[in-house]
Amino acid sequence: MPKCTINGQEVEVKEGATIMEAFYKLNEGIAHYCYHPGLSVAGVCRLCIVDIEGNPRPQIACNTAVTEGMKVSNQGEKLKDGVKWVLDFHLINHPLDCPVCDQAGECGLQDQYMQYGKYSSEMAEPKVKKHKVVDLGPTIVLDSERCILCARCVRFTDEVSKTNELGLFNRGDRTEIGTFDGKPLDNNYSLNTVDICPVGALTSKDFRFRQRVWYLKDSESICTGCSTGCNVKVYYNKEGAFRVKPVYNEKVNGHWMCDVGRDVYKFVNREHRLLKGRVKQKGQATWTDMDAGALAKDAHKAIKAAGDKLAIVLTGQYSTHEYQLLLKNLPTKNVYHWKNQPEEWEKFDGLLYRGDKNPNTKGVEAAMNSNGIKSNWNDLLTAIKSGSVQTVLVAGPENMAVYNDMNEKIQELGAAQNVIWASACKSEDFDKLNTNAWLLPMKSYLEKEGSFINHQGLEQKFKKATTIVSEALTLGEASYLLSGQNIPVMKVAPIDTFIEADRRPDQVTLEHRKKNEFVYKRGSL
Amino acid sequence: MSVVPNSPDKSKWYLISILGGLFITFKHLITNLFNKNKMMTLNYPEEKYEYSPRFKGNHVLTVKKDGSIRCTACMLCATNCPADCIKILAAEHNDPTVEKYPIAYEIDVLRCVFCGFCEEACPVDAIRMGPEWQTPGLNGSKFIYDINHLAYRPQLKGGVVSVVDEQERHKSGI
Repeated sequence: MPKCTINGQEVEVKEGATIMEAFYKLNEGIAHYCYHPGLSVAGVCRLCIVDIEGNPRPQIACNTAVTEGMKVSNQGEKLKDGVKWVLDFHLINHPLDCPVCDQAGECGLQDQYMQYGKYSSEMAEPKVKKHKVVDLGPTIVLDSERCILCARCVRFTDEVSKTNELGLFNRGDRTEIGTFDGKPLDNNYSLNTVDICPVGALTSKDFRFRQRVWYLKDSESICTGCSTGCNVKVYYNKEGAFRVKPVYNEKVNGHWMCDVGRDVYKFVNREHRLLKGRVKQKGQATWTDMDAGALAKDAHKAIKAAGDKLAIVLTGQYSTHEYQLLLKNLPTKNVYHWKNQPEEWEKFDGLLYRGDKNPNTKGVEAAMNSNGIKSNWNDLLTAIKSGSVQTVLVAGPENMAVYNDMNEKIQELGAAQNVIWASACKSEDFDKLNTNAWLLPMKSYLEKEGSFINHQGLEQKFKKATTIVSEALTLGEASYLLSGQNIPVMKVAPIDTFIEADRRPDQVTLEHRKKNEFVYKRGSL
Repeated sequence: MSVVPNSPDKSKWYLISILGGLFITFKHLITNLFNKNKMMTLNYPEEKYEYSPRFKGNHVLTVKKDGSIRCTACMLCATNCPADCIKILAAEHNDPTVEKYPIAYEIDVLRCVFCGFCEEACPVDAIRMGPEWQTPGLNGSKFIYDINHLAYRPQLKGGVVSVVDEQERHKSGI
């Protein structure tokens, strides 16, 4: 375990660790592009130069191993001048695209430039022009002018996804990132290259130009795409969620996450959500809108009337706490676990992505076991047919896209006399319910606190990020109301009460106008 | 409050002051009748005063030489706007040299405080504040200026050409 001194602070690192790792360990700032803790060392950007005592010239921190008693500094004037010049070389051919570049605001170049920049280039030659807006694959667009050739993305496809699509082509200042033989960059981990790109060379097609990053706030959460439970950061603003990025967690996902998980934020947004409670009687063709709280109280009648003939269907998409509350408030042994494609649950792609598309399957099982419930789906179907189950309460899936048996299950459960379906999202399929039905709007995982138990049995807490549908209930709140208890429920006044008579169809509604921090906090400043 | 009462002697002579005032009125009336050019006022709705082009009035979105919108939808004006009255929706342009452009650009002019920060923030001379200052309208919705109004309203006669040209910038190696 060698000890070294970084800018006067002593630190002990493990055998063979680099100076960069010592900097990371101390949380000491050091300029760098090509070094990424999850990838191998390339040492191409030359920006992480440090002075080592007794060494006549500066060395790069990312590729120099720490030796016992090494004294390292990146503070000297001479060294800062060196970093400034390296940065100037990086910027020789970098275009002034910041206004149209999606990376602006979270760009490594911008950050380093503000810290070390020269502010006036000494380059008189025109910039080398390269390819712009290159379609690399279904998820990614490349701008090779902006690329600073750190090769993080190339190393990622070589080492992590092991798909080897990307490579560096040509030489000198004409070097470009590209794919071999025009083969598209198409793998389930491709968007990680966008995250690790320190500049705006690789941009995600999904997020491209949709928001400037400084309009977005972030909140740490858990990915609900599959049972791996990757730690993520969700970026959102008033208009909803916009993107998901991985957060480092050694035990779960390391530095990465899959592309499928990055799409999971989509169903959370308002356009896919059930905004109001909806109710209909058997034989009625249309739904009647109702406030969520009032609807839950209304549905309580059906549950009370059913008595013992109540069955609860659970899906693995709610938090552990919610299952417990539900089973506590509505004590019944008729609890069934709705499994979507259980034959695929054991599938695993070797990196992160699992076949079980529920974040909390283990949580459902734990909640059922702790209440001593053992059940079989077919028992429920026979019970519905024989009439020994009158009312079915379904804690339906949040992310319906991964439930390809939605339609079938709606038919099966719709045979019961009363169906109370808790759902975060709306779906055309609900119209096929030809029975007394209540659709209860639920909060999504971004709008509540709780915890998921992932495939390893690791319980991970997630926190509330934002509110998208303020009227929606959590399953816990709903269980109180459904069991006849009273809790305060938020009632929301209809928005946009004042709508101009001649508003153009393309005009932005008041609700969707961008609100900056100043407007958010009006009245509390 | 202290009240200083006029002495009764002084207030006897009020008629002189009134006549003095009337004299000035009639002097102006007569000079204006015979010397219309030197009149200080305008017949407002028919005659309008043109402010200097440097006056910071209503916003103008400039256009490129081919007449398309100069704005690159970088959102710096919207970010800088203290009144939060600018709303831009960006989209991808088919032309890779343009890349990003606004499909909607709206200014809620009733919220606008005419501070000119949008003009200062703009990196490509896409938004300017023009000399126009009279903008009456009949109801609220008319005061949200959309992209067509901002760039191509009749007063602009086909659009104001921006001084920043992409092609020239590319040629000069930026």
